[in-house]
Amino acid sequence: MRVTAPRTGGGGTSARPLRSSGADDAAGDIAAVYVRSLIRSQLRLAVTVAIGFAVATVLFVLAIAFVPGLDDAYLAGVPVSWVLLGAGVYPLAITVGALYLRAAGRNEARYRSLAEDE
Amino acid sequence: MNPAIGYTAIVAVALASALIGFYGLRVSRTTSDFYVASRTVRPWWNASAIGGEYLSAASFLGVAGLILLTGSSALWFPIGYTGGYLMLLLFVAAPLRRSGAYTIPDFTEARLESQWARRVTSLLVIVIGWFYIVPQLQGAALTVRITTGLPSWAGSLAVAVIVAVVVAAGGMRSITFVQAFQFWLKLTALAVPVIALLLVVGGGEPPAQLTPAEAFPASAGPGELDVYRTVSLMVALLLGTLGLPHVLVRFYTNPDGVAARRTTVIVLVLLSVFYLFPTVFGFLGRAFAPDLAASGEADALILLLPDRLVPGPLGDVLTTLVIAGAFAAFLSTSSGLVISLAGVISQDLLGGSVRGFRIAAIVSTIVPLIVALATESSGLAGSVGLVFAFTASTLCPILILGIWWRGLTSRGAIAGMLTGAVLSGAAILGGPLVAASAPLIAPFLEQPAAWTVPLAVIVTVTVSRLDRRGTPPGTDAFLTRLHVPER
Repeated sequence: MRVTAPRTGGGGTSARPLRSSGADDAAGDIAAVYVRSLIRSQLRLAVTVAIGFAVATVLFVLAIAFVPGLDDAYLAGVPVSWVLLGAGVYPLAITVGALYLRAAGRNEARYRSLAEDE
Repeated sequence: MNPAIGYTAIVAVALASALIGFYGLRVSRTTSDFYVASRTVRPWWNASAIGGEYLSAASFLGVAGLILLTGSSALWFPIGYTGGYLMLLLFVAAPLRRSGAYTIPDFTEARLESQWARRVTSLLVIVIGWFYIVPQLQGAALTVRITTGLPSWAGSLAVAVIVAVVVAAGGMRSITFVQAFQFWLKLTALAVPVIALLLVVGGGEPPAQLTPAEAFPASAGPGELDVYRTVSLMVALLLGTLGLPHVLVRFYTNPDGVAARRTTVIVLVLLSVFYLFPTVFGFLGRAFAPDLAASGEADALILLLPDRLVPGPLGDVLTTLVIAGAFAAFLSTSSGLVISLAGVISQDLLGGSVRGFRIAAIVSTIVPLIVALATESSGLAGSVGLVFAFTASTLCPILILGIWWRGLTSRGAIAGMLTGAVLSGAAILGGPLVAASAPLIAPFLEQPAAWTVPLAVIVTVTVSRLDRRGTPPGTDAFLTRLHVPER
């Protein structure tokens, strides 16, 4: 639904575009609410995942530092603690990324189904 | 080392890059083709190209060199280089693709509806790009000097000329092919030597120069973490990746927002696999070539180790491979940077024509070449880390706030970018000067991101809040476009 008629009257104080009826106004408001809630849910998801990744990495590093014996156990001549720090964070990052990919897609699917119900 | 090996590898990579570049020229015709490959690049191609462009001298040579030099604290560099793509996935990838802009300055202008915000962003993009190209050219200088015996300037000059010619002639579509090719070349060029060296070393000959306990002392191990430096480095690398101009421009070539996300996850996988190999090289270096750390040639570890461990024809083949991979790293990162710089310079100063793009490509190569010839490299991974700190303090806050916060205004953005630029710039330049005289504050200057990024964000938010009327009228419409999925 688009209003194509030119603006009339000398008012022009309102920044909002003129609409033909109150019903369209309400529809526009509802659409805006849906978009805002999409942005909020995507932001909440992104921040949660980022914090989760940071916390998991810190715990992993503390474990490497404080679990006894990791510096003295060797894997092919390299201390296990070095091997874990050198290779252990990457699987975590990939897993977190893949989980986010699905969750972000779900948020968008939910938005779509709401917006299409209009 | 036999110079013929060096020449063979370097000429082969240069020729291959140029050939693929000129092949691509036949399919790139319009201005839009030239800038963003008409946005038709598939996720796997795109992810390989992003990896190819991103894995620079710092990743290919610097990481292993730093592991040899400083021990396990260097393992945080590849973790941060990879984790940056996770942050990019979470906060930037899909919205940025949907913004419909070609470059970061395009994005700031569209979001903030301000020419001044655009100019400041352009200036920062150009500074960041130049300082990121410098270590690439220094890496080339090192490689050419070590492998052929030619003077250092020859390597910097060779890379600069090849990049300027290929970019000016082919534009980005050809570069997408070149970059994708170079990712797989770089991966092969490290993976094959690492596996071969492990097989040789596993046979017990030659024996390690140091026992495991000497090569991997607990004092350089993961338990002895400098908390402030590590946290600050992580802030710089995780957030700095978001703002790198050559990384962002690559996202515009995804067909839609969902594809941009998928591409980013594939990049995470590719980088995770890649970084295992420089890490193993670094570990091998600590046991088999500890003398390189003492002689200040740590960054050449990857170039020298194959010949040391496997003299003879097999060693020559492996050496040719690593030299080719290193050259691919310098070429691909520099050309990615030159493309994004040329895009910004030509759009802002030269009217956005194809001819303007070519002129801008040449200008964007000459300036860093002069800087590289005039300065000495002080560790490849470290100098790239500082560029990340600067980027994280300037472009990253504006991108994240611009995408997620409707209250951002152009005054807030400009104030924040300038704050971040001045603080992190001063810290980076001042750090080496006070390192000896004031050891207590030196870490805060040498690794500034942990305090410059929050300050830049605080200034941006505060000034924007004081400037409520400055909210651009189109903000809601623009944010809708960023976040609503495409049909």
